[in-house]
Amino acid sequence: MADTPRPGERVELLEIEDAWLVDPGSGREGQGSLRVEDGRIVALEWAEPEAGGRAVRRGSATGRDVAAADRPAVLVTPALVDIHVHLRQPGREDAETVATGLAAAAHGGFGTVCAMANTTPAIDSGGLVEDELATARASGSVVRLLPYGAVTAGRRGETLAQMGEMADAGAAGFSDDGSPVADASLFRNALAYAGALGRMLVEHPEEPSLTKGAEANEGLVATILGLKGWPAAGEESAVARDLAILAEVVGANPASAAPHLHLTHLSTAGSVELVRRAKAAGLPVTCDVTPHHLALHEGWVAGDRRFAWEAAASPWTGGRTDAAPYDQSTRVNPPLRTPADALALWRGLADGTVDAIATDHAPHTQVDKLVEYGDAANGISGIETALSIVLAGVEAGLLPLADAIRALTTGPVRVLGSAATAAAGRRRAHEPLVPGLVEGALASLVVVDTADTWDVAPATLRSKGKNSPLLGRRLGGRVLATVVEGRFAYADAPEEALAAAPR
Amino acid sequence: MTGLEIGAAATVARAERDGAARGDTARGETAPADGWRHRHLLDVDVLSASDIDLAMRTADEMKEILGRPIPKVPTLRGTQVTILFYEASTRTRVSFEVAAKNLSADVVNIAASSSSVTKGESLVDTIRTIEALGADIIVMRHGRSGAPYLASQVFSGHVLNGGDGWHAHPTQALLDLFTLRERLPGGRVAGRKIVILGDILHSRVARSNIWTLTTMGADVWLCGPATLLRGFERWAEAMPAGRRLTVTTDLRAALRGAHAVMALRLQQERMAGGLLPSLREYSLRYGLTAETLRWARADALVMHPGPMNEGVEIGPEIADFERSVVTDQVANGVAIRMALLYLIAGSGPIEEGGNRG
Ligand SMILES: [Zn+2]
Repeated sequence: MADTPRPGERVELLEIEDAWLVDPGSGREGQGSLRVEDGRIVALEWAEPEAGGRAVRRGSATGRDVAAADRPAVLVTPALVDIHVHLRQPGREDAETVATGLAAAAHGGFGTVCAMANTTPAIDSGGLVEDELATARASGSVVRLLPYGAVTAGRRGETLAQMGEMADAGAAGFSDDGSPVADASLFRNALAYAGALGRMLVEHPEEPSLTKGAEANEGLVATILGLKGWPAAGEESAVARDLAILAEVVGANPASAAPHLHLTHLSTAGSVELVRRAKAAGLPVTCDVTPHHLALHEGWVAGDRRFAWEAAASPWTGGRTDAAPYDQSTRVNPPLRTPADALALWRGLADGTVDAIATDHAPHTQVDKLVEYGDAANGISGIETALSIVLAGVEAGLLPLADAIRALTTGPVRVLGSAATAAAGRRRAHEPLVPGLVEGALASLVVVDTADTWDVAPATLRSKGKNSPLLGRRLGGRVLATVVEGRFAYADAPEEALAAAPR
Repeated sequence: MTGLEIGAAATVARAERDGAARGDTARGETAPADGWRHRHLLDVDVLSASDIDLAMRTADEMKEILGRPIPKVPTLRGTQVTILFYEASTRTRVSFEVAAKNLSADVVNIAASSSSVTKGESLVDTIRTIEALGADIIVMRHGRSGAPYLASQVFSGHVLNGGDGWHAHPTQALLDLFTLRERLPGGRVAGRKIVILGDILHSRVARSNIWTLTTMGADVWLCGPATLLRGFERWAEAMPAGRRLTVTTDLRAALRGAHAVMALRLQQERMAGGLLPSLREYSLRYGLTAETLRWARADALVMHPGPMNEGVEIGPEIADFERSVVTDQVANGVAIRMALLYLIAGSGPIEEGGNRG
């Protein structure tokens, strides 16, 4: 067949020779070949069957990574999993729909996404969870959508939402994301109650009294630009509160209702350190960080366009920059932090404190973004650029490739825990959420040309949200194909061209 | 073209008015202000010391024009200047308006509401409308930091920032500098200790003065209650070598040996925000009075961007003090604004009109 496979088409024959395979599930990484026939991985050969592909070591921050130059250009990993996206449907279909959001996910290499409940109306009942799943099925996309349910009715932060009903309907967890559960008592109740349902509480940690009207990270850039500061303590005091309450609930709940707290989009060095200590103390807490907090920094608000690791030695201190200041696409909550914070997030990934990279993909319309900086909607359309900028960090030596891929695949699956099994079971009881690179399994994988580049532009983004600070930038790491359960979610070229590796 | 050449042009033009002949060669040499490289004036952080010198020398010319019986030149004839203010500020608006009219520009005044609740039209739409109505220059005052940058991205003319949020107030800083050069002994700012006192956190005047004064070599001190200095210690630490910025909550240390003190207006809402206990406590600890001013040099100048809250940030006895240069600041504001309108418009010689050809 000469045509580029359309989304949903079963993979007839996909042969990828001499690729770099990373399979966090089995703990293997190395050169090899892979053959998919009729949707299934029928052959998987590692170049060094004994040595292994080298074992994927947890927390291998020691530079034992194989340099990019020594790897084949084509990278094959399990399809990526994003546990934090905003798809805007129902209510804001002008900003994104489930269909465009899942198309964007596939273009970014993601085969599974977990959608936040801050739609209009908020997803706060079993019926609305079912509607969301039905919308995903109707979209025709093969990317899996796992919806979260709201923690509180209408996300108003007053009373608990219909959590049991939503869990039964397939909610992957509960979150009022967009806002924290600010009321500490309600937060405690929600955590305890969700524990009994076997679902995690995904908390957006923010102490609202410290962040009212905030426009940018409280620090040098906000001071110079005259923007209202969002202090690191606004996040860290919330993380500390949440962990103290978690410890209390762990002790109080019966074993059958063990709570699980997941802290999303941690953005400061202090937050990561708090979670590090909580994990050492054995608390059932997990966390994620976003690609934009890993790669960008507060200087971007001022027009600095260096990645965090490039700016760390000489942060912006005023004056001329690469781009105009106050670019609304850099307005996000939590805000872009300092380069030092970004480096601390990478260290958190390296030592296992941070379980996952999640995009917090937040598409917005131009109407909501092309306004005064402080009035612009918070959020970055980021699911399509995530893999590229994570790979840029890997190339800069911040994290071994295998650890980065783990944080995008088995890491988030482990976070989802039993919810992942339950959600996957609803579709295909015999297949785990991310089967990995395993002979005989239905193929769920992403093929990336790490030697090729692509241009971030309104026309290349599948998302309706063009609100990316990376617009106009050329990024490395082009996704050639995303395959989910044997079907193409995205393909860049005809099957035989995809097979023509290395480039 | 440098300020000196502008000076020469003005001199030649004056000579012409006095009946002397003027050659085409002189006219040719006094081309548009190509010493000025900025299409907009959005912030002062991008102005070099020579940019600032050019602005000062141009303002000197403008001040000379202001001293004439009829202080009007045809420089911006045919140029439409739209004054778009989202915040009420009669004094700044009138200052810009007088400046533009002195240069023979056509002035359009628009008072807009910046409340996101009441506004029916986005800033971008408003700017496009103003452009369609023929504006060449927009002078803009807005409550949100950075708003003039957004305007400059959709407007094909020139944007002059008349104050945005907490961020910048370029013409105020330049008129402050102009006034200091006039009134400090020797006309020198470099090495002089200049104190900015009060609500630094919320002050665009403070931020812009930090840039212009440190660029010109002044020893800048910021003083106020800790809650109103938040973030500035970091800025002081990050200042590149050669720029001097010191932050303190100690008024006495700040004033010791000061050549000039700039008191900032304190807003009532700082109490509601929990930043200060009371106006009374503020005035007792940070008010500039005859008493506290004694800590400064005997010839220290007193400045205020206005409008003043007498009895709060500044004692009534100081407001009318002989070393108070507040009225000079107001008068110089017109000269500075004429200079900046002229410079960003990339106009021809000051005394000639029809620059838009
Ligand atoms: Zn959030």
